[in-house]
Amino acid sequence: MRTESRRRILAIAHHEMRAATRSGVLHALLGILIVATAGSVVIASAVYASRLADYQAYRAAAVAGGVTRIAPSPLAPLSLLRGAFEYIEIIGSVIAITLGYLAVSRERANKTLPLLLSRPVSAVELAAGSFIGALGVIATLAAASATVAVLSVGLIGHDWLNLTQVGKLFLAFIAAIVYMATFYSLGAYTAASSKAAANGLMVALGIWLIVVLLLPQIGDTLDADNQIPGGLFAALGLGHDGEVQILQHFATYETVRTSIEAASFAKHFERFAFAMTDVKERYRSLSFPDLLLQVRASIIWILIYAVTLPALMIRAFRKQPSIPQGANQ
Amino acid sequence: MDGPAIEMRGLGHSYNGSPVLHNIDLTIERGEVFGFLGHNGAGKTTTVNILTTLITPTHGTALVNGYDVITDRRRVNAHIGYLPSEVRMYPHMTARENLTFFAELSGVESPNRAVAETLEYLDCSELADLRVGSFSTGMRQRIGIAQAIVHRPSVLFLDEPTAGLDPAGIRQLRRTILDLNADLGMTVFMNTHQLSEVSKVCTTIGVLNHGELIYKDSMEATMRRFPDEMSLEDIYVRMGGVPA
Amino acid sequence: MIDTIASQQLLSMRRQRVFVVAMGLFVAMTAAAGALGWSSHQTIVRVYEQAVKLLAAQGQPAPPNPFLLKPELSLLSNMVVYIPLLGALLALLIGHMAISDDGPAGRLVFSRSVSRGDYALGKILGAGIALGLIMLTALAISLFSLVVVNHAVPGLAVLGRLVVFYGLSWLYVMVFALIGMGAALLSRRRSFSLLAALGVWLGFTFAIPQFTSGLRPTESLNPIIDPVGISQRFFEVTALARPISIAEQYKAASGQVLAIVPVESASSTLSHTLPIAVAAALLVAAVIALVRRHDFSRSSYED
Repeated sequence: MRTESRRRILAIAHHEMRAATRSGVLHALLGILIVATAGSVVIASAVYASRLADYQAYRAAAVAGGVTRIAPSPLAPLSLLRGAFEYIEIIGSVIAITLGYLAVSRERANKTLPLLLSRPVSAVELAAGSFIGALGVIATLAAASATVAVLSVGLIGHDWLNLTQVGKLFLAFIAAIVYMATFYSLGAYTAASSKAAANGLMVALGIWLIVVLLLPQIGDTLDADNQIPGGLFAALGLGHDGEVQILQHFATYETVRTSIEAASFAKHFERFAFAMTDVKERYRSLSFPDLLLQVRASIIWILIYAVTLPALMIRAFRKQPSIPQGANQ
Repeated sequence: MDGPAIEMRGLGHSYNGSPVLHNIDLTIERGEVFGFLGHNGAGKTTTVNILTTLITPTHGTALVNGYDVITDRRRVNAHIGYLPSEVRMYPHMTARENLTFFAELSGVESPNRAVAETLEYLDCSELADLRVGSFSTGMRQRIGIAQAIVHRPSVLFLDEPTAGLDPAGIRQLRRTILDLNADLGMTVFMNTHQLSEVSKVCTTIGVLNHGELIYKDSMEATMRRFPDEMSLEDIYVRMGGVPA
Repeated sequence: MIDTIASQQLLSMRRQRVFVVAMGLFVAMTAAAGALGWSSHQTIVRVYEQAVKLLAAQGQPAPPNPFLLKPELSLLSNMVVYIPLLGALLALLIGHMAISDDGPAGRLVFSRSVSRGDYALGKILGAGIALGLIMLTALAISLFSLVVVNHAVPGLAVLGRLVVFYGLSWLYVMVFALIGMGAALLSRRRSFSLLAALGVWLGFTFAIPQFTSGLRPTESLNPIIDPVGISQRFFEVTALARPISIAEQYKAASGQVLAIVPVESASSTLSHTLPIAVAAALLVAAVIALVRRHDFSRSSYED
């Protein structure tokens, strides 16, 4: 029975992948993501190449001049992928929602749900198969994105990643896959829970808007230092110590602000991906275990969402009527 | 396997509290071609939806091949084929891809071979590699039947199979049903309000009127019982098979 | 005839739950922008008080109040972000529903003596009125926020700036309503047309600014544009295409109108507005042309 169930799930997964590769709207959205991502990495790599050349010229001059203490390179090649991860955060999530919505609406529009469920297929197998198929599509997308990124950094930025950097990048892309798979589950969940799947799509896009764009933006806006162009504390002539001392009086305010940001699943993905790709300078000097320790809260939140939404999707698939309501008697 | 192909005992169903099917007791033996007659809204599709496990009856029991449609759903599904009244399938996939997918879901050992054999049996191999989205109603119906029989079920449910077909399509469908019954020994349960079809294909008929089974007998006995009626339409009217 | 089509469309939108929810979200975010502005005001005041105490304890003089560095209408700077995000998406939805929701009724309309041009103009007018009402609501909320935070009724100059800002915002979101209509006229598949329009919005809001000004996508969530890498040759070339980056143009023009960025000349503000107006005009023409060639005998469908 287990083998049969596995075969059915794989058949549905293959079906999902085929449908995705033949969907015009997904092609269009993927096109935007790929062009934007590749563009961001290529642009960043070109800037990087010139900075790296400057550094190497300095280094050569220092060596020639007999200087023994040469400043280490301030450049972090992985940080060139910041734009790529931001595009995954914004556009990748829309693509994932679309995939999830299509998984439900396809069966409804083609009236194939009764055909599927008159076979020995359970709603859980249907959900699991669709999810695995989508995971295949998302993983392919992430792998393509990672390849473009590594090659751009190497070929255009003239700096090849070392093994540790490849490892960190791998983890960042795993997080990207989990992130998009969670949004896939959201799209499938809202579509399966709605009588009209298109309304479910709009609900999912509304949630996307709040979680991906509005909550992080609000959190950022509330940052005390961001109140004045150039920084509030700088305007008051206060250094880091002064800032820390004053912020002690804003403990509740800061808790509210960080809670707003913490409510955003996207922000957690962003924090993790940025930590893995050396975007934030404060993370660059940390050892790998320390780095993971620093972002443990984000890892936990990502996992909570990544478990909850697929569970909701399975529940919605189970509750979804196998024949349209109000159909012939 | 022994016992009847389909057995319903006190079967009933309500939608949002309004009953649409009342206490149906009905047995269909193996190898029969059963025509289920009734006006629109009589409860025919609800019956098929219950027998194909798509909905759960609100009361009573139903067995298909001896398996309970509520408690033994998987086993029921493994032995049935189903053709809904409006066949759509996946338009972005070819006929072969559609059929392979459904064969895989039914646990067929060699899906590719089963698909090729089924297409050949139904004489529509030429449609195999065309996308279903480009098909006419008749072509879709043939591929629809192929998906219903690709795993060689022992009971085949057809819900209004002639709807939307032209006369040639109806004739072809009739021949297919008779062949499936004769060659593969399939029990066929067919919903229809096309009375002319019933006399040419069915061995037994049942009449559903406002959710109640008002008649069931063999085609032969029916013709004997109503010798004076001019047509099946007249028999149907006499039995009360019209909307109230 | 145009007004009949427009009023029918407004009526049908009012009964759509999705539209009502989306509009509610927009109004809520306009209120949130005001609340955030108020919070910003309070934060600056409190930080300043603490800073004065701290510096006094260290025997240093009090710095000038940084609130004076904050432009008067910066309270509404978040609206410059919410209009291209929420407002444009809401407009996309309005444009999409205006065409898709007509369904089979579309062909009935043309069995009357309605010209295709009138139909198109009626639809555009309907969307324009709906978005106009939404912008008026947003204007009222913004005014209320200003009164609450400043404890004073804003002067005529400020009022004028607000009116011009929401007028500009109306023009900007109309571009997206027209894109929503155009997509719905190009594809009968509802989800395809909605998602295609969404793709165009994603492109304008997050992808194009990267190529024209080197803005990363999250930087597009910042009300004030600070183009980076502008000196590089790549951007010297792509900057020529900056007029088509209408999200940037909108933000630049809004910044000027609300005086939350260093003030440039009026002609420069106009030069930022012009590409948006041109886009809107071209799209009006495109929608009329698409309505003329559209086959209304077949209705749009779900999938």
